[in-house]
Amino acid sequence: MNLILTLIENMFLAAIPAVGFALVFNVPVKALKYCALLGAIGYACRTILIYYQFPLEWSTLLTSMLTGTIGIRWSRCFLAHPKVFTVAAVIPMFPGVFAYKAMIALVEISHKGYSAELFETMITYFLRASFIVGALSIGLSLPALWLYRRKPSV
Amino acid sequence: MEFDKVHQRQREITRLCIQCALLLLQHGAESMLVEQLSTRLGKALGVDEVESSISANAIVLSTIYKGHCLTSTRKNVDRGINMHVVTEVQRIVILTEHRLLGIDEVEKRLNHIKPLRYPRWLMVLMVGLSCASFCKLAGGDWDAVLATLLASGVAMYARQVITSFQINPLINFFATAFVATTVAGWLVDWMDISKASIAMASSVLLLVPGFPLINSVADMFKGHINTGIARWVMASLLTLSTCIGVVVAITVWGFRSWL
Repeated sequence: MNLILTLIENMFLAAIPAVGFALVFNVPVKALKYCALLGAIGYACRTILIYYQFPLEWSTLLTSMLTGTIGIRWSRCFLAHPKVFTVAAVIPMFPGVFAYKAMIALVEISHKGYSAELFETMITYFLRASFIVGALSIGLSLPALWLYRRKPSV
Repeated sequence: MEFDKVHQRQREITRLCIQCALLLLQHGAESMLVEQLSTRLGKALGVDEVESSISANAIVLSTIYKGHCLTSTRKNVDRGINMHVVTEVQRIVILTEHRLLGIDEVEKRLNHIKPLRYPRWLMVLMVGLSCASFCKLAGGDWDAVLATLLASGVAMYARQVITSFQINPLINFFATAFVATTVAGWLVDWMDISKASIAMASSVLLLVPGFPLINSVADMFKGHINTGIARWVMASLLTLSTCIGVVVAITVWGFRSWL
């Protein structure tokens, strides 16, 4: 029961940034609701995977592959490139807070001098952030590469 | 006489192909899409082959028809990510492929694409709400969410004002990050929020270069290493200038609640 409530809350919270960033990318008005839906589906999928003890990076990779596959499906109905939906949809999964913490730790090291703790914080968060960004972008590209090797999807 | 006519037609097709490619490249399409769509447009209009070479700030494109080859080059200026333009160009290409548009109509339609711009207040509101959602998702309490909402709304407004002056994006990102951190830091100190770092981190998230990063990896993955590296470097520079903005704001105002 607790999982379902968290899931609903997270889906709602993820749909908002998906639409917000879709506006920043000037996605056509008609595609906005698909961005929101795809953002919610993606975040829900990742929440479920993390709940079942998958590592964050692998759940992100699988989720972005799912997002990419759904994006290709929808792009055929909408006659638009899949990226129109998918990039805005994965924005809620970007590791912003990790990247921020890594950067602040780096600045603290230069400010106060080396300490093992700060260095550990920096490396840990930096690696997490980079692997998640890699998982997101490679995950989005993979479905297009293996479903449509010979001809374009739209 | 006949040859002149054919030549003229090939020249027009070349122009349309490169216009299509340039529009896509300027508005943030990945290189494979640029290459594919310009080739498809050319073939639909009747030339035999379209070959293109894409780099970060120029595009070279040749059409080949009955052994005659015509080449054209255009400089590329980044006009910001606009998926509306990309979608419109793609529709024009698909319509042409289905023999619904001739050369004249394609030209008219390509010239009449007006980039979609959402109203400012709507973007400020939605981006503010987005960053507030990030804060909530990262585990912030309602005070932190409120601080993030205000800070990122103000920052988004600043970003739009700076964009309207057509200032270099790197300076824009620096200034926006500075504004976001300043407002967030003041609010966090004033409201005495316990999870300060989450609020401060979330309020600069509107500057995440998501599209350039994903495009760059997609480019490199699909064999366009050159453009991929160029985009990756640009995304990194944008991130770096965001970092500098945050650090300068923290240092100038002496915010203590860092980590």
